[in-house]
Parts: sequence; C-alpha cells; structure tokens
Amino acid sequence: MQTSSSNSTSNGPRPDWPAIAIWTIATLITATFCCILLDILWHGLGQLSWEFLTTAPANAGRDGGINSILVSTGLILLVCLSVAIPLGVGTAIFLAEFARGNPRFSRWVRRSLDILAGVPSIVFGLFGYAFFVQRLGLGFSILSGGLTLACMVLPILIRAAEEGFRAVPDGYRLGAASLGLSRWGTLRQVLLPSAMPGLVVGLVLGIGRAMAETAALIFTSGYVDRMPGSVWDSGRSLSIHIFDLSMNVPGGEQQAYGSALVLILLLIVINSFASWIAQRYRLGQQGR
Amino acid sequence: MTHPFQSFSILVPQRNLLLGVGFSLMLTACGPSSSTGQKLTLTGSSTVAPLIGEIAKRYEAEHPGVRIDVQTGGSSRGLADASQGLADIGMISRGLKAEEEGEFQGFVIAKDGIGLIVHADNPVEAISDRQVVEIYKGEVDAWQAIGGTDAPITVVNKAEGRSTLELFLKYFELENSEVQADVVIGDNQQGIKTVAGNPDALGYVSIGAAEYDIAQGSPIKLLPVDSVAATTETVQDGSFPLSRPLTLVVTEPPTGLTQDFINFAQSEQVHDIVRAQNFVPVSGSLARVQPEPATTAN
Repeated sequence: MQTSSSNSTSNGPRPDWPAIAIWTIATLITATFCCILLDILWHGLGQLSWEFLTTAPANAGRDGGINSILVSTGLILLVCLSVAIPLGVGTAIFLAEFARGNPRFSRWVRRSLDILAGVPSIVFGLFGYAFFVQRLGLGFSILSGGLTLACMVLPILIRAAEEGFRAVPDGYRLGAASLGLSRWGTLRQVLLPSAMPGLVVGLVLGIGRAMAETAALIFTSGYVDRMPGSVWDSGRSLSIHIFDLSMNVPGGEQQAYGSALVLILLLIVINSFASWIAQRYRLGQQGR
Repeated sequence: MTHPFQSFSILVPQRNLLLGVGFSLMLTACGPSSSTGQKLTLTGSSTVAPLIGEIAKRYEAEHPGVRIDVQTGGSSRGLADASQGLADIGMISRGLKAEEEGEFQGFVIAKDGIGLIVHADNPVEAISDRQVVEIYKGEVDAWQAIGGTDAPITVVNKAEGRSTLELFLKYFELENSEVQADVVIGDNQQGIKTVAGNPDALGYVSIGAAEYDIAQGSPIKLLPVDSVAATTETVQDGSFPLSRPLTLVVTEPPTGLTQDFINFAQSEQVHDIVRAQNFVPVSGSLARVQPEPATTAN
C-alpha cells in the first residue's frame, strides 16, 4: 500500500512518516513525564506548606513534616559532591589532557568507568555497607551514605566532564601554548571555562542520580528520621522517606506525595542553579 | 577561598577522615555522636521498623541523652547485624527458629496476622487451605475452579528473605521453589496496591495493614483462613492460625540500656503506639520468650 501510494503521488505532498514517528515518540515520552508530574502535583500540592518543610516527622512519617529528612538529604549530597567533584574533575582532566600518550591505560580506565556506571545501585549499597559501614567502621552515617553515593556518581561525572574537555578545540590549546601560558594556566584560564557545559551536565546527572537513590542509601546512611547532629549520625534521605511511606507505612501515601513533590522541586532548583553558575562563570571568564 | 569544610562546623569531623582511614575505628569513638550520651542501634524487619521507630521516639523523650537509631532492611539483616555486633538489638517479624535459639534470645513486642487478600469485586468468599496450596503450586489457575469468575488467577508472592513469605510457606507446607508466582512483591503496601489494582489477584499481607487500607477505601477484602475470620481480634485472642510475633532479638542477655528499652517496648506504656501502627499488642504473659516447637521449625 505504502509503496504504491508513494509512487502515484510523487508530485503531491506525502506524509513524512519518519518525522511523524519521531514526533509521536517524543510526545509520548513527554506525556508520560507530564502524567507523573501532574499526579504528584495533584496529590502533593495540598501537603506542601512551610510547616511541612520545617517540622519533624511524627507517627512513622504519617504526620508532621520533613525538616530532618531535608537536612539529612542536604548533608548526604554535600558529602557526596565534596568528594566526587574534585576526584571526578581531576580524573576527567587526566583522561582528556594528560593520558593521551598512554591510550591503553586510559582505555582501561574508561572501560571500567562505563562498567561501573552500569552497576545496579543495590550493589553499590552493599559495597558501601561492607566497606564504609563495617570495614572502615563509619557505621550507619551520613558520611557512609555520602561516600557510597560518591562512588556511584563518579563514573557519570567523569565521563560527562571528559566529553566536555574533549569538546574543546585543539586550537585553544595550541593558542594558549603559543602565548606561553603554563599548563596550569591553560587549564584554569582556557580549558575549564570552555569545558564548563560538560561539567555541569555531569554534575546535574550526578545530583539527579544521587537525590533519587534509595537502594544504595538504605544500608549506609540509614533510616533514622531524627535531625542529624553531624555527618556521623544516621539520617534518612528524601528518597528513602518516600519509599518507606509508600511501601511500608499504611496511610503514609499523602505524605509520600508531598515529599516526592519537594524532591522534584529541589531537583529543578538545583539543576537551574548549576546551569546559572556555569553561565555566570563562562560570562565572567569571557568578560576578562 | 576558604577550605570548603571550614565553613561547615557540622562537617569538621570529616577532616579527621583525611588523617587516614586506618584510624577510623578510633575516630568513630571521637565522633560527636558518641560523646553526647548512650546510644542504641536496632536493625532489621521493615515491618517492625516503623513501630520501633515510634517506640524509640517516646523512649528518647522520657530519657534525655539517650539516642536510639532504628535501621531497616529485613529480618535476615536484623539477625546478621545483631550477630556481628553492628546492632545492639535485631528486629524480626517472626519467632526465633529452633536452630537460632542457641545464638539469640527473643522478646515478643507485638503480634501481626497474615491474611489472604483478593479484590473487593471478587465473588469468592473463602478459599480452603488445600485450594491455596493448589493455587500457589500452579495446579489451579482459574477462579472458576473455586467458584469465582471465568478469569485466570494472578498469584502474588512475597520476595525471598521476607518473614511473611517464610510464615506463609510454613503454614501451607510449601517450598518457595514450588510456588508459581505471577507477581513477586516486597512490602505489605506493594501487595495491597497490586491486589487493589487487579480484580484477579490473590495475595497475602499483614492483617493490620490490610484493615487500615480497607478502612481508607482500598478495594480489597480479607479472606478467612481455616474458617477463622482475619481480624486483629482473632489475632489477639490467638484463634487466627496464620499469625506471627514481632520480636526483638539479642545475642547476649540484655543489660543496662538494652534491657531497659526492651522492657519499655514490651510494657503497656506503648500499647497505644502498637495499635496506631495496626499491630496487636501482647499481654504480659504472652510477651515472654516463647520458643517455637522444633517440629514446626522445618
């Protein structure tokens, strides 16, 4: 049918099937996301209030708010990023700039990173439980959780950042060298600002994965919903709180929706903030 | 730029980590958490964790300076962590097995019944024990065969390592490898949601959780087991056959804080919390350790 019609109507406008297919797929994906978002907005908006954000959870999370959960989530993310960013950017710089003379080694590093990026999070969770919690004796703590997350986020961060550095044209490096800039100077003045979009993509993906993580945290940072006094305390992350309320606490559904909405809003805020920082940084560098 | 950790006094102990992970055990002792007072860690069953979490909050409120950390992850983890010393007390949602009696000591804090649930629109009002066995073995796979509609049965089973599964298998004398499940679930809420969303599903969950969700309008109903109605009342008076004790386990005879907390969790002071979490309080005589008979353990 299709071939005959395309032959007979070769002059007239014929439907652009590939474009239609692509549009349909894109619409379906967006619609799925919107469905989830609308569902959470619909059920969660009523829960959201200043009080919800600033009071402690009560009655196994059915009542009260999520203040301690928010603080724990923030601390876990802080520990994770303060370990993952220096290590990740450092490794990316090494892979993209310094390991060119040793392709075999960098290929091995890259391959192991790709495998690590595909490892299910529960495996990271059990690793963190065996290594940070038991071996290093950090116990169930925000520190254990943050470090476990850092291990999980690193491969994503490194690969995205490396792409960022690779995307910088070689002309920039040659130009910097011809101007007599030192290697450090080239890195700081030329490469880092140009690679910023890649770094931000890695960071946003990493934060997204870290904030959404449940399996890796339930065995490491733990389940305690008390306000953490330090990173040595156990603290429940937002994702675990949502999981527990929806799966384990009868009647916790409404609060779970509220917490899910907060998690999504937080992700949007953090992502926009990261892009904003990157843009400012780039503009600042260009303005010099 | 200042050192990133210096601006967060809360993070200062982390700097110690940089001194060398080899000293981390010692450092844990230096951490601020252990210097503030006594601390008790409990891990285990995800069924018991929300209950103990609330009991712990009340205990903390009555005993300033004491901190009780409650972790979750399943009964198996509760036993493993208590055995390795990672937790002071383990939580299991079953009684101790005969072979575990040597290593652990158990304290029952509440009871929970496991009920068979089907969708509210399902015309079937009762399923005999034999029929349950046949359905879970895959020998009967249509509702019509037991007086229901002309539809295949969606068999909902619990994931490995869950004590609800163990209790269910033990009561019906099934092996997990024999079970022909269509859906495998983890927690009670997941089971309730699966059955509420599928008119042809048959599952089993905690009676307390099911009663709560039915009261909230969830379209499910509890079926009697061995002609005994599945209610919290029949669980409490002991007539309901498919019930389990929620148990705290320790490896050594409890002393000090551990003992005090176990006593508190068994006392009448927490019965309102037990009821609020949809479990059944146990009276004083029942709360004492009751080893399960060796004959039913295997």
